[in-house]
Amino acid sequence: MTLITDRPGPGAARPYRFPPVVRRAVAGGQVVAAHLPGQNLAVALLLLDAGAGREPTGKEGLGGVLAKALEEGTAQRDATAYALAIEALGTELVTGLDWDSFQVSVQVPVDRLTAAVRLLAEAVRTPRLDPADVRRVRDDEANALRMDWANPGPRADAALRADLFGAENRWGRPMYGDPESVAGLDVEDVTVFHSEWFLRPGTLVVAGDLDRIDLDALAAAVFAGTGGGPADRGGPIEVPVRTGRRIILVDRPGSVQSTLRLGHPSPHRAHPDHVPMSLAGTVLGGAFTSRLNHLIREVHGYTYGIRGDFASSRRFGRFAVSSGVQTAVTAPALVEAVGEITRTQIAGVTEDELAVARSWRAGQLSVELQSPRAIASALTTLVVHDLPDDYHARLREELLAADVDQVSAAAATHLHPDGLTLVIEGDAAIIRDDLTAAALAEMITPG
Amino acid sequence: MPDSGYPWPIETSRLDNGLRVVVSEDRTAPAVAVNLWYDVGSRHEPAGQTGFAHLFEHLMFEGSVNVAKTEHMKLIQGSGGSLNATTNPDRTNYFETVPAEHLELALWLEADRMGGLVPALTQETLDNQRDVVKNERRQRYENVPYGDAWLRMLPLLYPPGHPYHHATIGSMADLNAADLATFQAFHQTYYAPNNAVLTVVGDAAATEVFALADKYFGALPARDDIPPAPDGRSVPATGQPAVEKVTGDVPAPRVYVAHRGHPFGSPGYDVLTVLATVLGSGRGSRLYQRLADGERIAQPDLVGAYGVDLAHAPAPLIATATARPGVSAERLAEGLAEVVDELATVPVTAAELDRAKALLSTAWWRQMSTVDGRADTLGRYATQFGDPARAADRLPAWLAVTAEQIAEAAADVLGAADRVTLTYLPEETP
Repeated sequence: MTLITDRPGPGAARPYRFPPVVRRAVAGGQVVAAHLPGQNLAVALLLLDAGAGREPTGKEGLGGVLAKALEEGTAQRDATAYALAIEALGTELVTGLDWDSFQVSVQVPVDRLTAAVRLLAEAVRTPRLDPADVRRVRDDEANALRMDWANPGPRADAALRADLFGAENRWGRPMYGDPESVAGLDVEDVTVFHSEWFLRPGTLVVAGDLDRIDLDALAAAVFAGTGGGPADRGGPIEVPVRTGRRIILVDRPGSVQSTLRLGHPSPHRAHPDHVPMSLAGTVLGGAFTSRLNHLIREVHGYTYGIRGDFASSRRFGRFAVSSGVQTAVTAPALVEAVGEITRTQIAGVTEDELAVARSWRAGQLSVELQSPRAIASALTTLVVHDLPDDYHARLREELLAADVDQVSAAAATHLHPDGLTLVIEGDAAIIRDDLTAAALAEMITPG
Repeated sequence: MPDSGYPWPIETSRLDNGLRVVVSEDRTAPAVAVNLWYDVGSRHEPAGQTGFAHLFEHLMFEGSVNVAKTEHMKLIQGSGGSLNATTNPDRTNYFETVPAEHLELALWLEADRMGGLVPALTQETLDNQRDVVKNERRQRYENVPYGDAWLRMLPLLYPPGHPYHHATIGSMADLNAADLATFQAFHQTYYAPNNAVLTVVGDAAATEVFALADKYFGALPARDDIPPAPDGRSVPATGQPAVEKVTGDVPAPRVYVAHRGHPFGSPGYDVLTVLATVLGSGRGSRLYQRLADGERIAQPDLVGAYGVDLAHAPAPLIATATARPGVSAERLAEGLAEVVDELATVPVTAAELDRAKALLSTAWWRQMSTVDGRADTLGRYATQFGDPARAADRLPAWLAVTAEQIAEAAADVLGAADRVTLTYLPEETP
């Protein structure tokens, strides 16, 4: 036999260490940095308390429009000159937005970081926001969302979110808004949002070789001319889980697949069950080896992939499963998925499954946290959720220590198979009868 | 200007059975990337067997002599690792990044499926993964607007019989016809140690890796008659532009302009890489400045230009734009063609060139910032050019490109007579 039969065991583990974290108050703002010795590339990221949660209801998408408008010229130079200046350093201005924060960053060879951060600050703090430009950017953004919403997924996501959290609430509407909400924004909405939320200092996150980076100079550039203290961020929002399952059918005529979004509300990020709950999510749907992917992809071949997880922000959370399945098997795929969620809720997880899940999640900390971009992102987690410098080390310990009882209890408490909303975006004429016959849930038409 | 785009050590070895082993030690993090490039891709597929190389890649995760179905994923993930595989026209790569103490496990798993896949391959597995791949095709190509652009461009760029004529995902008819014996033969033909490069980057010493490679792969037999793919290096110009118009369920008119350039790895491809960045990367690019900002006929997020880095034939260079509301496809196509044409007539300025080179430098170092990014790069250069150390030349080569070379390349390969234009038009709403 030419192959070695016996599977080798592991060698001696070398402990993973998150890079040393430096925190500093400079020029009225906070700096949080990680030292990556020898790394050629550096990332600087300005974190502002200006996430989607700060947008007024009815003004969804404001942050996205403002993000684009920042690059339409500054007090010092027009849009073309700005683009040429920042791209000559080898970076673009990268903006991002979630429920809790607005992020704008640059990624450059380390010797260009100070120059890049100065340009970042110029756009964030002193954008021109010429009314004609803002209107054009708004129209472009509305159009970009129309393009995006022509894909399967965004309409199903919006239907699920509205059903879980209520469309009367900001958090019951799409994080990036929808084509109509963006089209409805006016210039003043954008300028007011900027002056309210983009002139506070915020936190500067830096990942790179700190021996070659002058943090004070970066901070001085980014916090110059800022003012206003931290604003109240609000407490967790109580969101009740439904008492009965329901189906929402979103018609997509001619679709060769049905896009599935199944979900219910779940706890916010600071909930004490966060780690065991997320491990239950990993076993059920979080990894390629998960129960859902095994059943729906590897056993039945209904899909290219299916995922499920608990996701949470500071104020709320949700459990959701998403997939695209061949149109003809929409009903059986749903029956199987709901069945697996139910089994996990009732019977919990096994030691074998949990062993894979916890090792995977713990190992990912050393495997995935390599690049300056990934480290910067990990630092933003510390800032947004008020976590200590040794959070990643502690998280590793907590993951490895979680036992079957804890994780099964979290599954029992935080999975609600009978309170699921099942959104199906697909060819209604073909799948409606099958869904009715499957008798999984009451079919409702969203108002 | 850096002298090297790869300032880490590289050590190479070749086992008696022909397996090339590349190691680049870096002790920064306790992680190690294991990467295998097999020199087989969709360019090797004969007519009637399109999609087979990719479907085969799926089968490689379904068990081998000593590894049960689904166990591969479970063992890697259960070790804290990330893994995946991809297939393209040129090659198939398999890779995992694991905490360093699991290096040996990763090598054992890779050896087991290199040497012991066929006895474990069943009809049931094939049928299951065929369904998965057909769903992948639906999800990525059929169910999204413009999703089939690549499938449509390839046959316009490359004539029937050319190894790049068909797309890697294959046709539904061929996938349906796939039988077990063909896949068993596929493995026996191409998955031989002398048709692969094993690269290990990260927290491991070269001597240790060479010894482990010999232990796990050393006894696998070489195969001495691996059939080459058809030669595609010369693609006769037709002298006729190719034009295709598709009316379908798309939200706005979109135009793709595509040309055959030079093979990846050649000096000509380096010039085209810088050219594509000048043309279509970022807000300072010509396409953005002219079509999105200047004339405002294109949607700003959806203009771009890029080369597809294929090494065995003149590789595609693609530019694309999507119309703003109220702009016709004709107007957009005209504007796009004009900007592409001007690359030959309006010299690239020093500022344009510096901007492109700065963006490319960052992109290079981003690829080098992870052990997995480095491993895939070294495996590529070892497989396609016979020497992983040639990876170090790429960045300096980009940085040496001149404005004159760009103008010459544009005149040479971007001519309107040798152009593919693919246009999507929204269906008329009644």
